[in-house]
Amino acid sequence: MAHISIRDLSVEFAIYGTNARSLKNTVLAQATGGRVMAGARDVVAVRALDHLNLEIADGDRVGLVGHNGSGKTTLLRVLAGIYKPVGGQVTIEGRVGTLLDPSAGMDSEATGLQNIYIRGYILGMSRQEIEANLPDIAAFTDLGDFLALPVKTYSAGMAARLTFAISTAPKADILLIDEGIGAGDAAFQEKAQRRIEGVFARTRIVLLASHAESLITRFCNRRLTLERGEVVGDVPLAQAPVPVD
Amino acid sequence: MVDATQTASKAAARITVISADANPNQGTADLIAGLRLYPLWSRLALHEVRQRFRRSLLGPLWLTLSMGIWVAAMGFVFSALFHQNAGQTLPYIAIGVIFWSLLTSSINEGTSVFIGNEGFIRNVPLPLSVHVFRMLARNLIIWAFNMVIYVAVLVFFGILPNANLFWFFPGFALFMINAAWMALAAAILSTRFRDIPQVIANVIQVVFFLTPVFWSLESLPNRPAFVVFNPFYHLLEVVRAPLLGQAPAVSSWGFDIGLAVVGVAATLLLYRRAFARIAYWV
Repeated sequence: MAHISIRDLSVEFAIYGTNARSLKNTVLAQATGGRVMAGARDVVAVRALDHLNLEIADGDRVGLVGHNGSGKTTLLRVLAGIYKPVGGQVTIEGRVGTLLDPSAGMDSEATGLQNIYIRGYILGMSRQEIEANLPDIAAFTDLGDFLALPVKTYSAGMAARLTFAISTAPKADILLIDEGIGAGDAAFQEKAQRRIEGVFARTRIVLLASHAESLITRFCNRRLTLERGEVVGDVPLAQAPVPVD
Repeated sequence: MVDATQTASKAAARITVISADANPNQGTADLIAGLRLYPLWSRLALHEVRQRFRRSLLGPLWLTLSMGIWVAAMGFVFSALFHQNAGQTLPYIAIGVIFWSLLTSSINEGTSVFIGNEGFIRNVPLPLSVHVFRMLARNLIIWAFNMVIYVAVLVFFGILPNANLFWFFPGFALFMINAAWMALAAAILSTRFRDIPQVIANVIQVVFFLTPVFWSLESLPNRPAFVVFNPFYHLLEVVRAPLLGQAPAVSSWGFDIGLAVVGVAATLLLYRRAFARIAYWV
């Protein structure tokens, strides 16, 4: 069973080399964003997550919503183990997979096929796993012989299909997704959504940060609203298929 | 497709605890986890070297060629200037320049290893130290290409290595351990204090002239303090002497071992302290 338990989680960013006072005034004047505190000397500390408590159970498809800077991405990065907390504790049961920036680690000079391997290794897949997934990835991208050409010769849509296909290949118990799933033309959007459904069906817990309400109502069974690094809303959503045991 | 029950049973075995109190220990764990990912960083390093010379006729042999030209030019100019035998000067300069380049490019590239991989660090959950190991592996690959020059010089002057060559192996291990901690320390400090890369680049430039890389100690009446206490001199000594058929001085072994112990311990402490903040600093 996959499970995430978050207790009293706090995350702070220290911003260096700025005039603390003026930045503080500027940020406080805005309604959105994390809490800005005047730190020592010239350092401004932004509290991105503030004593957050959360339980996510097996089968949860959580849609994370909130303003820009409300802490959605920060929360996903903490769960991925990228950002370390300044306080609190997170206990995660299960293997975590991420879809934060699908193009991180891609090399536009290398061929499509080389990129499948590079990105696969980076996502923690073994050579055997990548080879086993290769036909599926290649079929989804529809790139055919283009896979033997450098990625920089691709159109934006072709590159998007490739990054999407690779990023959705690894298997995980818990999947963290940040924004923009799917790009490209309408036909691809539909295909991408079907692939996402497949990924969701084999994943125990999904956290999806998005501004697109349609995505959240389609895929999620729980909506979490974040504001200034705190959970301000947590409502169950009518439906969304839960994996069957 | 993996069926759901199988996924679930695998999930039970893997529990991750992320806690603010455990951060320092995670720093040490990160180094070990990074080292274990050698299939990843060695492949990425190889890929990077290959990509740099894609579509060029000689490929990575350009590395060898450009350093070879530099060594040959230096060697002939210096042997002419100081009326020395080219058969002695050239191997000395070749080895000096090859290892100087390995050491200093590891440190110089170390300064940008976290900063330059910002997008990577913030979006891909990998041990941070992977980026350091990848950079070191890349420099080792380049070094291997440069060692062709050493072999060429030996063949050209008909020099045969002797039993002292054995000392090269412990010497090179010691050399790389020191290069690694220097690169990691440079990486951590540069990420937090953005003036450090410039400072390091300038210090290295000056130290180049203070270190017997292309000039020899034999041309001086006695050993000046800037050589006796120069870590770069002692690091070069333990790899250069064996390759030239001499046993390295005991004082150099002692200096390098001491440097490795102190340097590794200090860098480990630094990494444990800074580890949790690096993703925020990049």
